[in-house]
Amino acid sequence: MSGLTKQNIGSFLARQGILVAFALFMIGFTLANGRFLDPDNVMGVVRSSAILGVMALGVTFVVISGNLDLSVGSMMSFSTIVVLDLHDKIGPTLAIPAMFALTLCLGALIGFLVGYLKLNSLIVTLGMLSAIHGLTLTWSGGKNMDIADKEATWFGIFGQGEIIGIPVPILIFALLASVLGLILAKTPFGRKVYAVGGNGTAATFSGIRRARVVFSCYLMSSFCVATAGLIQASRSMGSQNTVGQGLELEVLAAVILGGASLLGGSGTIFKTVIGVLILGFIQNGLLLVGLQFYVQYVVTWVIIILAVWLDIAAKRGKLWSPIA
Amino acid sequence: MKTTIATLAATTLLTGMAFAGEHGGKMTIGITQNNVGVDSYQTTYEKAFIAAAEANEMVEAVVLDAGGDVARQIAQMEDLIQQEVDAIIIWPTNGEAVIPAVRKAKQADIPVIVTNSNIAEQGAEFVASFSGPDNITQGSRSAEIMCDKFKEMGIDGEAQVVHITGQPGYTTAIERAKGFEDRLPEVCPDVTVIDTQPGDWNREKSQKVMEAFLVKYDDIDGVYAGDDNMGVGALNAAKAAGREGIIFVGATNFAVGYEAMERGEYWGSIYQSPVDDAEAALQTAIDVLEGKDVPALNYFDTPKITQDNMGDFTKPVF
Repeated sequence: MSGLTKQNIGSFLARQGILVAFALFMIGFTLANGRFLDPDNVMGVVRSSAILGVMALGVTFVVISGNLDLSVGSMMSFSTIVVLDLHDKIGPTLAIPAMFALTLCLGALIGFLVGYLKLNSLIVTLGMLSAIHGLTLTWSGGKNMDIADKEATWFGIFGQGEIIGIPVPILIFALLASVLGLILAKTPFGRKVYAVGGNGTAATFSGIRRARVVFSCYLMSSFCVATAGLIQASRSMGSQNTVGQGLELEVLAAVILGGASLLGGSGTIFKTVIGVLILGFIQNGLLLVGLQFYVQYVVTWVIIILAVWLDIAAKRGKLWSPIA
Repeated sequence: MKTTIATLAATTLLTGMAFAGEHGGKMTIGITQNNVGVDSYQTTYEKAFIAAAEANEMVEAVVLDAGGDVARQIAQMEDLIQQEVDAIIIWPTNGEAVIPAVRKAKQADIPVIVTNSNIAEQGAEFVASFSGPDNITQGSRSAEIMCDKFKEMGIDGEAQVVHITGQPGYTTAIERAKGFEDRLPEVCPDVTVIDTQPGDWNREKSQKVMEAFLVKYDDIDGVYAGDDNMGVGALNAAKAAGREGIIFVGATNFAVGYEAMERGEYWGSIYQSPVDDAEAALQTAIDVLEGKDVPALNYFDTPKITQDNMGDFTKPVF
C-alpha cells in the first residue's frame, strides 16, 4: 500500500484529467448558485441529458472505429416523428418495433456505404443528415406530430415514468451505458472496434473483417438513435420535425470531450458519459447563474475547449508543449 | 366565369396597368418563401397560398422555397427578376442580407411585397408593402392577456413572470419580446419579469429552460413564451415538477396550445392563422398591381384567444 505520492497523483491526473475538469466545474457552479446541487436539479439535468447521452453511446463506437456520424441528429428527428405518427395509426405495441426497424435500416444503409463500399464517413453521413431530414418532412408533410389522446396511452413511461423514484430515461441511459461499456471493454468485438480504428490495414491483415465491424458500429449507433427518439417522443408526446437538429454536433462534442480520438482507436463509454454530463451541467449551470444568453454560447464553448486542454495537458504531463 | 375574367381584365386595363397585355390578362406573382416544412405554420402557409392563387383566375403564381438559405433566396429573387414576373412576394430568410436583391427588383420595376417577417429598416424604401402580423402588437396583447388574468386572480400586485423568447436575432422574437416587455409595466406595473431566456422556437429546449427556472425560483406565477410550441414545452416542465397554478400565455396559437387550453392547463395565446397570412400577402400583391393605395405596413388582425373565448376560433391545423 503506497501512499499518495506525487507520482501517484500525477498518473491519476494523467488518466482522469477530464474527471478533474468535471469536478472543478461542479464546484464552480455550486459556489455561484447553491441550488445547482439540489437533488431535483441534478436529477433533472441527468434526465434531460439522457437523450443526448444515449446517442453519444452509439457514436462512441463509430468514432473509435475511426469514422464519424453526423446523421444522428436528423435520424433522431426521423425516429421521433415516425413513432409518434405510427402510435396513432397502429398503436404503441407495434409502432415501437416498426420505428426501430426503420431506423436500423437507415443505420444499415450508412454502414453499408461506409463499411463495404468504403466511402468517406464524413461525406456519407453529412449527406444522410440532409437526406433523412427530407425523409422526415416527407413522412410528416411538414406538420408537427402529436399523439391525439395523451391520457389514454402507456407510451409516456419511457420519457416520463419513474421506477423506484428514478426517471426511466436515466435508467435506460444507465442500462445501455453498462451493456455497451461491457461490449466495448470486455468482448472480442470491442477489441476489434479498437483495432479497426487504431490501424485498419493492420486489423485487416490480422484477419479482422473490417467492413463488418464498421457496419456493426453504424447499426449500433442507429439502435441508440432509435432509443433516443423513443425517449424524446415519449417525453413530450409530440414533436416538431426539427427536434434533433444540431444534436449531431453536441453528441460529437460530448464524445470528443470524453477523450475519444477523432482519428479512431481510443475512447471509452465511461468517459463519453462524463462528457455528456459535463455538457448537460454546463448548460444548466449557465442558466441558473443567469448569464445573458448571448454570452452563454461563448462561455459554453470556452469551457469545452478548456476541458479538452486540461485533459490533453494531463496526458502530456505539462500545460504547454511545443510538439504534439 | 369567362365574363368575370373579361370584366376584371377590362377594369385592370382601365386602371392603366401594363401587365395585362404582356401576360394575356394574368398577373404573374412570384413568391420565395423562407423554409417550407421546417414547421407546420410555413407548410400550411404554402398550401393556403397555392390554393388562394389557384382560386383566383387572374393570378399565375410561381412558388419557390429558399429552404432557409439566404444565398438560395437571393438567387431565387434574381430568377424571378429574370422571368419578369409582375410582382415578387418574399418571406425573408434574413432581414438584412436580402436587401440588395430587393433593391434589384425595385430597379427592375417589379414591386416587392414582404410577407410575415419584415426586412430591416434600411430596406424599407425598396418595398412596396409589408404584409404580415404585427408582432409588437402581439407581444403587447399577450401582456394584456396575462395582466387581465392576474387581476382576475387578485395577484397583480405581486406576480412574478418568466419570459421564454424565440431564437435570438430573429425579428419576430425581438418584436414580440419588446411588445410584451413594454406593455406589461403599463397595464400591470407591479408585476415583475424575473428572468428571460431563449427557447429558440423549440419545445424541448424550452422545456429545459423552464426546468432550470423552476429550480431557480420558488415562486413563478406566469410564463410568457414567444410561441405556443415553447409555451407547451414550459408547461410540460411545470407538470413534471408538480408545480401548479402557473398562468401560461403564448403567441401563434398552435394545435398543441389549443388542446392544452381545452384541458384548462394553458391560459391564452394570440390567434395567428397562416391561411390569413398567405391570403393577405397575395391580396396585398394584387392590390399593389392594381394600383390601389396600400399602406406600407399592411397588418392582418391577430386576435387574443383565451380559455374564455376559444369557442369562437377553430382549432389550428398546425
